[in-house]
Amino acid sequence: MLDLPSFEVHRPTSAAEAARLAGALPNAVFLAGGTDLLPNLKHRLIDAEHLIAVDRLPELRGVELLEDGALRIGAATTLHELATSELIAREAPALAAAAAAIAGPQHRRAGTLGGNLLLDTRCLFYNQTPAWREALGHCLKREGSLCHVIGSTTTCVAAHSADTVPALMAMNAVADILRGDEALHVPVAELYAQDGRYALNPHPGRQALVLGVRIPPRAPGHRGVYRKVRAREAIDFPQLGLAVCASFSDEGVVTHLSAAMTALLPRPKVVERLKVAIGTKLEDAVIDKLSQAAWQQCKPQASIHGSPEWRREMARVEMRRALVALRG
Amino acid sequence: MKRLYTLTVNGEPLDVAAAPNQTVLEALRYGLGLTGTKQGCDKGDCGACTVLVDGEPRLACCTLVEQVADRAITTIEGVATPEGPSLLQRAFDEAGALQCGFCQPGMILSATALLQRNPDPTLPEIQAALSGNLCRCTGYTKIYEAVQRAAKDPGRRAPRLTGPPTSGFQVIGAPGRKADAIAKATGAAQYTDDLVLPRMAHGRILRSPHAHARILSIDTSEAEALPGVFAVITGQDFAKAYCVIPWTRDEHPLCRDKVRYIGDGVAAVAARDEATARAALERVRVRYEVLPAVHSAQEALAHGAPLVHEADHKGRARPDNLCKEVALDFGDVDAAFASAAAIVDDSWTYTGNTHGAIEPHCSLATWGDDGRLTVYSATQVSHYLQRELARMFDLPQGDVRVVQPTLGGAFGGKSEPFDLEFCSALLAKRAGRPVKILYSREEVFYSHRGRHPMDMHFKVAVDAEGHITGVESDILIDGGAYHSFGLVTTYYSGQLLPGPLAFGAYRFRSRRAYTNKPACGPKRGHGSVQPRFPLETALDELAAKIGLDPLELRRRNALPASDATTVNGLSVPSCGILSCLDEVEQASGWRERRDTLPPGRGLGVATSMYISGTAYPIYPNDMPQSGIQLRADRSGRVTVFSGTNDIGQGSDSVFAWIVAEETGVPLDQITVISADTELVPVDLGSYSSRVTFMAGTACQEAARALRERMIAAVAVKWGCPAEQVRVELGAYVDTLDAERRASTTDAMCWAEAALGTPLTAAGGYRTREVGAAYRGGTIGASPAYSATAHVAEVQVDQDTGVVKVLNVWAAHDCGRAINPTLVQGQIEGSVYMGVSEALFEELRYRDDKGLLHQGPSLLDYRMATSLDTPAIHALIVESVDPGGPYGAKEAGEGPLHPAIPAVANAIFHATGARMRTLPFTPERVLAAIRLARQEGPHA
Repeated sequence: MLDLPSFEVHRPTSAAEAARLAGALPNAVFLAGGTDLLPNLKHRLIDAEHLIAVDRLPELRGVELLEDGALRIGAATTLHELATSELIAREAPALAAAAAAIAGPQHRRAGTLGGNLLLDTRCLFYNQTPAWREALGHCLKREGSLCHVIGSTTTCVAAHSADTVPALMAMNAVADILRGDEALHVPVAELYAQDGRYALNPHPGRQALVLGVRIPPRAPGHRGVYRKVRAREAIDFPQLGLAVCASFSDEGVVTHLSAAMTALLPRPKVVERLKVAIGTKLEDAVIDKLSQAAWQQCKPQASIHGSPEWRREMARVEMRRALVALRG
Repeated sequence: MKRLYTLTVNGEPLDVAAAPNQTVLEALRYGLGLTGTKQGCDKGDCGACTVLVDGEPRLACCTLVEQVADRAITTIEGVATPEGPSLLQRAFDEAGALQCGFCQPGMILSATALLQRNPDPTLPEIQAALSGNLCRCTGYTKIYEAVQRAAKDPGRRAPRLTGPPTSGFQVIGAPGRKADAIAKATGAAQYTDDLVLPRMAHGRILRSPHAHARILSIDTSEAEALPGVFAVITGQDFAKAYCVIPWTRDEHPLCRDKVRYIGDGVAAVAARDEATARAALERVRVRYEVLPAVHSAQEALAHGAPLVHEADHKGRARPDNLCKEVALDFGDVDAAFASAAAIVDDSWTYTGNTHGAIEPHCSLATWGDDGRLTVYSATQVSHYLQRELARMFDLPQGDVRVVQPTLGGAFGGKSEPFDLEFCSALLAKRAGRPVKILYSREEVFYSHRGRHPMDMHFKVAVDAEGHITGVESDILIDGGAYHSFGLVTTYYSGQLLPGPLAFGAYRFRSRRAYTNKPACGPKRGHGSVQPRFPLETALDELAAKIGLDPLELRRRNALPASDATTVNGLSVPSCGILSCLDEVEQASGWRERRDTLPPGRGLGVATSMYISGTAYPIYPNDMPQSGIQLRADRSGRVTVFSGTNDIGQGSDSVFAWIVAEETGVPLDQITVISADTELVPVDLGSYSSRVTFMAGTACQEAARALRERMIAAVAVKWGCPAEQVRVELGAYVDTLDAERRASTTDAMCWAEAALGTPLTAAGGYRTREVGAAYRGGTIGASPAYSATAHVAEVQVDQDTGVVKVLNVWAAHDCGRAINPTLVQGQIEGSVYMGVSEALFEELRYRDDKGLLHQGPSLLDYRMATSLDTPAIHALIVESVDPGGPYGAKEAGEGPLHPAIPAVANAIFHATGARMRTLPFTPERVLAAIRLARQEGPHA
């Protein structure tokens, strides 16, 4: 058996208490579903003396459409709930699709939106047992001084691998965070660090309790898709995750287009140079340009399964397919 | 610090003392004794530990007790109702969905949750709901059938036989339920890790972080001083080497002088629990002198390469890393090439892969006060293990008892002795208490013995009519650090190829080299799956070159249906390949559809032949290779004692079928006790597809002897000649007076009375002399050979290179299907495994990182999920072999082989791209498509 290290589990009854505990206890991490945290603890990837269970906190529950048209989703909403909620399918179809594509059915029953947002970066040289990493000589992200992917001693290129994040980024979602007593509202796109050693930016950092996300009102005619490249059709993490959202006028003219990608580098990436689509009906020539833009901006590293060259090519293919699907 | 939690498990509130870091899986299995919840990977990659939490499927290994303390947990033990197993559990049994059964508690719970929210799911809904539960045996086919059956069935209880027998038989040919299946469906079946003995300690093995290093010193004093540690051992505690093949012993339970791969064992401890054992291992100090490592077979054979083994098993200095070389020549190959109408001359690469049984290896050893050793082990070869344990511990063989509990999948991966069996035995002796060692999933990958990587050069020639006139191969085999079955592998890579298609002339050279990687060994289709890939894809190319339909080309080369001899002298008494080709041609719509498929869609064909057991035992002897004893008594029950390892394939049920057929005793009055060396006669084990043919023959002989005794007693009782008594299922009948009938129980009572002794009978399979006279001519020799043809249908995404296998039609000549449900299960599982190898499975070691395994987990080693598995159409062909029981031959390994070349050939048909390296990853397929486009359309 892969035994877990020793730790204490705390179950605060309010978000405020949870946030305070996180600041007060040494080496504390939040526990929601545990589907990523517990394997990482079994692999001794995290030093955690205290687990703060947050999955049942009332402030982290619920999915609601606010009066201004924004969508608020509690961080403890399970991925299964995201994938099967009619409200989310209607209001944030890319997010529903992304959640449905995560791992296997059992993971989605336990795993949460907050857990996916805070998913540790992943690497072939990192997500392994202690014995394996000892044989490797450890890596920059954990107990070592070298990134085995690029040979760097200063930068880790473990891959951001959370499927929901590109969807949230493409919808300009903002994370509501409690950090100690401080309430923060951080765009999801700004949560992540450039250096793969730290899944999150120093601000908000590991003590940030994500209460939920807020997706601003979508323009009329909003559509969204999520395209996931992975080896198997279940269980696997993304080799490329691409969310594309668009709004169309009644005549089918694009009024808004946004996209984001993951599984490239430690930080997910907003796809830029999409403005050429505005005012078009996504004709094939437009789609070609946008696909080329996606390819140009997709620069994956060999930190996860699949060659970077092929994964890069898939950005072009998947962007084209996403746009064709959106065009309808 | 433990806390007291109250868990509601299966409706019952239970107090559980658990530390905060305890998982639900640990609490269920080791705290509450609910061992129906299985552990396969321990980190959420396989789904075997699935339980329901408030009705929803969750992974027990990734859930803390704290997280579910006030939730309702349902385990497999709670699925049954007071009236018995649930409808779904029974449906799994009736559909034949339970082979090894290890993944099925989790599978059944996922399916239970599905049916609760969706009582009538569609096939895609079933596939999606089960996509987090890996199954390695069934190809998921019969699982879907079970879920659909449960959704529609009003709840009848099925009889043992679920269909009629073959005409002329009473039981043979009837599909039916396995004897042990329902226990697997309810979680009652006991696998090795489910066993607990009083005072049992837990062992762990320390493994090398270096691929090649000299052990300078090992200091165990700190580990020994740790409270709770009972024993610490090192390589110095084992003087002898071992190997499953007696003349190539090159391995020690723990390394003595050198470590030869990352993961090689150097020390082992026994402690009060696994955590203490792990802590003790961290306190063992090993000093190594790191040596240059051998990375590949090519490198191994290069001049001046470091030696993996400096000496052979006899202590003679080794000049190089060549483990075995075989070169054989049959007929005039050069003349065939000179006169060929077309030749393919190219290289292929088979990346290695592994078995991936969901049950990790486990061994539990205990010594009696009389100095006798008992080892419970997840093994396919109880008898060989018993022999090796006796030899290693200098015990009379009779002082070693090996028991194989229910086994959770093997596929060749448990077919030789492993370090954990020897280590658990020695630790148990030193600790003075039973010791269990359970491999972690990572250790399963290091122990390996999986499919060898092979670099294969093939030259294949045909004449203008498509006859295969000459084949030449040169195969370089990467054996890893130890020998395992390497001698056999090397022969099999050449010897098993010249059928079911005949070669005019044949020459092969195969060389197996030692490298500093985990040892390779036998995996389903041992040694011959790899060369099938180049041969059958080369034939496809040749068919294209001469403008012949590839299926027709195979037909033209088919071995005769009876009494054939291959070019290398294998006698093939029966060969149903033509019928197999007919079946797949028709079922796939080959003729009508092949030229009318949409873009990216393709059909490919391939064939294979495989042994029904090796002709000779691994150690030379004149005793029977299989023995069966029957015991019948006045209760009316027959007990079958069999040394065969039922590894999920259903051999116990095959014996029950045979006994019922011969004696008329109904199946529910037959018990099979198997694989406990203390209770049963010797059988060599479940490997090389030998069981139905050899042990089945022994069983038939025993059952016929029992029947003769029962008939004789009935005849005396009735005062009629024995010929006048006919055996029916459940009764002995007077052929001249249909009114005069005796139950089988009566017949047994009369026989027992007439004999004056208990009513018993025995049968054996005795070695039959087959094979050719040349050196090596007996390796690959088998009393019978199966034949298989596949047609695969693929859809290739030409923008991404992603291959989706949509359908595989697999027609397999098993001689005679004794229980067709089981035969289908073997075909479906084989096809699944072949397709999964073709598309996903790949073991790689990082050359740049000291030969580190690139991902020893079920997340990084990708095995097809339900959503990646094609629709599998199992078609049974019965050629009725003259030597097999009722004509039966093997079904467990042959049907894997064609899957890989059939998929490759279908990719060619779909895209024009030729695949020469496994697996067919999107990157490789896309590159091959581009290459094909550059080169222009093929002939």
